[in-house]
Amino acid sequence: MRLTKAMRWTVVAASTVLAVAACSNGGSTSSNGAKPSQNNNAPAKDGGTFRLGIVEPTAIDPYNTQESEGTLVTQALFTGLTSVDADGKLSNALAESRTPNDDCSQWTFKIKSGTTFSNGEAVDAESFIRGWTRAAAKDAASDVAYHMAEIDGFDKLQDGSATTFSGLTAPDPNTLVVKLAIKDCEFDLRTFHTVFSPVTKDAGPATNKTYNDQPIGNGPFKLDGPWQHNSKITLVRNDSYGLTKAHLDKVEISILNSANADQLEYQGFQAGQFDWARMPTEQLGAAKAVYEPKGEFLNWDANGMNYILPITFNGPLKSKEAREAVSYAIDRDAIVAGVFKGFRNKATTLVPPAFKDAYQPGVCTSCGKQDKDKAKELAAKAGLTPGTKLYFGYNTGGGHDAWVQAVAQQLKEVLGLDVQIDGIPFKELLKKEQGPDATGLYRAAWGADYPTPGNFLNPLLSTSAINEDPATHEVQGDNRGRYSNPAFDALLQKATASKDQAERTKLYQQAEKLAIGDDLALIPLWNRTQQRVANTEKWVNLSYDFNENPTLSKVSQK
Amino acid sequence: MGRYVLRRLGQMVIVLLGATLILFACLFVIPGDPVGSLGGSERARDPAVVKQLREQYGLDKPLIVQYGTYVGKLVQGDMGEDYTQRRQVTEILMPKLINTSKLAVAAMAIDVLLGAAVGILAALKRYSLLDTVVTLITTLLVGFPTFVIGMLMLNLFAVQLKWVPVIGDPSDPVQLILPAFTLAIIDAALVARLMRGTMLEVLRADYVKTAIAKGVPKRQVLLKHVMRNSVIPVVTYLGISFGGLMGGAIITETIFNWDGIGMAMSTAIQQQNNPVVVAVATWTVAIFVVLNLVVDLLYAMLDPRIRLS
Repeated sequence: MRLTKAMRWTVVAASTVLAVAACSNGGSTSSNGAKPSQNNNAPAKDGGTFRLGIVEPTAIDPYNTQESEGTLVTQALFTGLTSVDADGKLSNALAESRTPNDDCSQWTFKIKSGTTFSNGEAVDAESFIRGWTRAAAKDAASDVAYHMAEIDGFDKLQDGSATTFSGLTAPDPNTLVVKLAIKDCEFDLRTFHTVFSPVTKDAGPATNKTYNDQPIGNGPFKLDGPWQHNSKITLVRNDSYGLTKAHLDKVEISILNSANADQLEYQGFQAGQFDWARMPTEQLGAAKAVYEPKGEFLNWDANGMNYILPITFNGPLKSKEAREAVSYAIDRDAIVAGVFKGFRNKATTLVPPAFKDAYQPGVCTSCGKQDKDKAKELAAKAGLTPGTKLYFGYNTGGGHDAWVQAVAQQLKEVLGLDVQIDGIPFKELLKKEQGPDATGLYRAAWGADYPTPGNFLNPLLSTSAINEDPATHEVQGDNRGRYSNPAFDALLQKATASKDQAERTKLYQQAEKLAIGDDLALIPLWNRTQQRVANTEKWVNLSYDFNENPTLSKVSQK
Repeated sequence: MGRYVLRRLGQMVIVLLGATLILFACLFVIPGDPVGSLGGSERARDPAVVKQLREQYGLDKPLIVQYGTYVGKLVQGDMGEDYTQRRQVTEILMPKLINTSKLAVAAMAIDVLLGAAVGILAALKRYSLLDTVVTLITTLLVGFPTFVIGMLMLNLFAVQLKWVPVIGDPSDPVQLILPAFTLAIIDAALVARLMRGTMLEVLRADYVKTAIAKGVPKRQVLLKHVMRNSVIPVVTYLGISFGGLMGGAIITETIFNWDGIGMAMSTAIQQQNNPVVVAVATWTVAIFVVLNLVVDLLYAMLDPRIRLS
């Protein structure tokens, strides 16, 4: 309803009167009996404005796009060599072929010819080289450029001693040759990340503020005016898009406060203002009851894992028996039912079920049912006697308090441990975790940047991912539990050197079996189970993608 | 008078310098590396990037050098770059300051118009039905937490009745109504009670009795003698309250997605986005100093017995 100015002020007056009177007016829900059609093959109709809310992204310029919100925008604006579906299956986007040489030290990408940026400029191999070089440059200080670390010449760009990317060449406009300093038969999987996007000639360096706020891309959508920080981002269909064109006319993205964005998104959805929303955990049950019968409630295990990170190089959890004792003592089922009201699924693996081929349920044997006797037996064996002090750190502000308390309580009850809970801001927690005095347990979670089990196993568990600073003895990599097992490292190396996907998967499974099944280097808790409400009464082909965002490029009106 | 104002403004510079120094020292004490993890997520940053950012923002230098550089830039109006988005802090904060001011002014207007009017009426019609009702309602309101009022209003008018959008354009005056009322309603109740109390006191004063006995028209007595004398405590209260409002109202801003200073501060503290924290705190201190000065000047205008020297 559009209000005239006079009407608005009448509303003000009336609202004060009604504020008290209408408190007793319980929820009124719209109840038209229309059944949502789940037919995803319906002929697509162009048009319509899709609306949703996100929190302020760090960046929408591909050089530094990092979290799922920024990725939503950047993926709408840019199309790279490859794309990935919700199940983590890679397919060609602008690439027509992607071929490694014999030892995977060089990759050749054939690029589809004739596509353009939204300003009409041609997208060729040079556009890619430009984009990648710009992100890897020292001054960019990009948080995501490390995905290019395998490419020859990356180090020189990062330390500022070079301004060109020596590993990248374009023998002709439609061929991009990538020389790797570190051989990788899975390199092509990385290219779906937005940091590998092509950019226009006038993009300039990553410090170009104009392009940062209004990047010109080659994606299914283009910006309708620059990013209005903390307010909104508006996208319109790019009619000159080189691949299958989008159906939506417009996407209106409201930027919300990060503190209660899920609450605001859900309220916006309830008021009919948003077509897609997250929900606060406390309201999931009520939302499911209302929206599931209408087919508007989405619930799935996404690309991610919640686990406890035990410090394995010293402290009470040095032995694998001690870690197993902790794992057996945790009643995951009770926490899932009690704290999460069933909206998380218990995990028995590190590599989540979203990776269908590699998923091996039950690989963590101690993650099944709580077993108090076994826990006590293993604890006695490991010298984890009742009264032992056990540090348990977690970051505040992430909604972790309730389950951390529950886990600590269970460890106290079953093993008699003196669990010392420490809730601190993330940056402080990280500092503690990285330090040489780290001990005990830390809350942790991980999501893969590109669809391979290797992106869980490598950064979290390989010896090279410890990367200790020799001066301060602080861990700089993501393997902060300091797990180190040569046999595991060897399996991962074999996997990245294998060109056969099936064999690779098998090697990754063996590696997971070793690090999680045998050594329990990380203690899995529950999957990254996600929930959304989606307005499927109005839209077809509306689903979630690999980054948990709505499939904007496919959605169309009913 | 002019000299007095100048001296007070001179003191303000010292207060601001002191405030930034204390802030810097406090931020230094907080453990954790401000550029050690990604802004938007719970992940450690790439060590090479951490090193580059520490150099870029001078975090590798001793605190006193950092402070010197900061003050040097501050006098030129440069508050530095924030650590997550790497945008100019002034550019980030300017729209937020405008939003916060809008909300503060609207709330203050409601406080004055609604609160003072109700208080005056209640005092004039003491022990009437109106007075009883006002006392009852204001007592109830003062006991209500802001977030309850805010959530109720949002749910009712935006989610259920859909009269205003849940998330709207902050430049649209309609968007201002709910947060302004949420923010003002408790304060207005306090103002009403305060106004009623002081007014009753003044009404009993000898000079008012004398004026009435002398046969001065009631209207004139009220406006010239009663109002002017009973408004001083209310002005003090409003001054402090306005300062608080200009510093941002975290709860109200959060509930109504109002992009103001309060939210910026709370997010920045969580992310250890120090340039934003220092900037907002400095701004809040400056506002308080200026408002205190304004209140003092108003005193002198309202009460001739108060001299500024």
